[in-house]
Amino acid sequence: MLIIEPSFIVREGVKTLFSQMGLAYRVDEVETLRDNLPRLIEKFNPQLLLVNQEQLFRQWAGNRSSAGFSGLIIAGICYGEMASHHGAHVDFSLNIHSPKPVIMQQMQEMLQKSGLAGTANESESISERETEVLRFVALGLTNNEISEKLYISVHTVMTHRKNITRKLGIKTVSGLTVYAILNKIVEAGELKGSSRE
Amino acid sequence: MLIHQDMKMAEVIHLNHHLLHVINRFGIQLGYGEKTVSQLCQAHDIPLSFFLEIVNTFHDPSYFPIENMLQFKASLLINYLHQTHRYYLDFRIPEIANYIKRLSDDKAFSEDIKGLLQHFFNQYTSELTTHINKEEQRVYPYVLELERFLSSEHSDQALIQRLKAYSIHEYEEDHDDVEAKLFDLKNILIKYIPEPTDSRILNLILHELFELERDLNNHAHIEDLILVPIVDKMEQAFHARTVSS
Repeated sequence: MLIIEPSFIVREGVKTLFSQMGLAYRVDEVETLRDNLPRLIEKFNPQLLLVNQEQLFRQWAGNRSSAGFSGLIIAGICYGEMASHHGAHVDFSLNIHSPKPVIMQQMQEMLQKSGLAGTANESESISERETEVLRFVALGLTNNEISEKLYISVHTVMTHRKNITRKLGIKTVSGLTVYAILNKIVEAGELKGSSRE
Repeated sequence: MLIHQDMKMAEVIHLNHHLLHVINRFGIQLGYGEKTVSQLCQAHDIPLSFFLEIVNTFHDPSYFPIENMLQFKASLLINYLHQTHRYYLDFRIPEIANYIKRLSDDKAFSEDIKGLLQHFFNQYTSELTTHINKEEQRVYPYVLELERFLSSEHSDQALIQRLKAYSIHEYEEDHDDVEAKLFDLKNILIKYIPEPTDSRILNLILHELFELERDLNNHAHIEDLILVPIVDKMEQAFHARTVSS
């Protein structure tokens, strides 16, 4: 993401609001459009550009597709209502006087349209194979033992375990065991006598 | 906004009530009246800059006390860290254990689930206790002994050998599994338990867990960013002195 805006306070505000959406991505900042825009875009290669609208139209009245960045999502930062004839040049127009919910909604759309945020959560349920691995983890088997039981490499076992942890948000063996019991992947009775952790 | 010496202590709490427990650890109790931070520190014989660094690192996790940190006496810091340990073990953990016990009378959960949660929490508590004991019995005494050695003239060979045998860098951050367990417990409660008919006690437990996590993070932050550099400096002084003698 690239922000071109002369006001420090406005830049900080834009960054703060984006950070409230809890996503991490690189943010570059430029104060003014002294360099020409295509060069800046080449340099930073952003997926999303937020640019002070005044500056944008003073510097660049050219045609967007001919300027060679048709894939880029552009949002103008404006300090009031946007003149209608400018609308064609930008995908979004962020009026700094808008109330917070409106701005947050627009920012959410910018992130989605530019591909910085997924449009929908991918399915986070664990696969059948991962369930098998999880079952053995809960039963207290080591990666080596699991690899022998399932005829897969230790490396593959570790990949499965990483994916399980990522999908479930559970990191420890005892946490995974609780999950496995709650979801009837193992019976509490099966665990008796197995030494865990 | 940073907390500064001329703020009234009451304003500090209005700004961030999570600081209540932190301020207690300095021996300052409620009933602040109109007293400012600096007045209360003076009344309780607490070095003002030390108080400010500690509350500000808690208040703003991105606050980094570069300028002032090396001036503090290690014993001052150890005393604070020791107070936080007592707070976890004597207050916060029993508080959560109480809530978990209250769950056992709650018809909203099956016996199995109560047992699982109880067991998991017990595991967590014992790991946390082990970790804390290690610091209290190994790390802190070493630092205090090192400080005593540097502030006196004596050159007891046995003590020198003992100090040489250890370094603060050996004290690795093995907070990891303790941290991960707390993280897991939160997610299990938030996402994976079967829907209860009433969540109120679970809400209280979760609230406590989030508070505990925040406090533990700050504790680790103070150890890494303040304690370790101070001890590092002391170790350099120690080696300079024992090499030349």
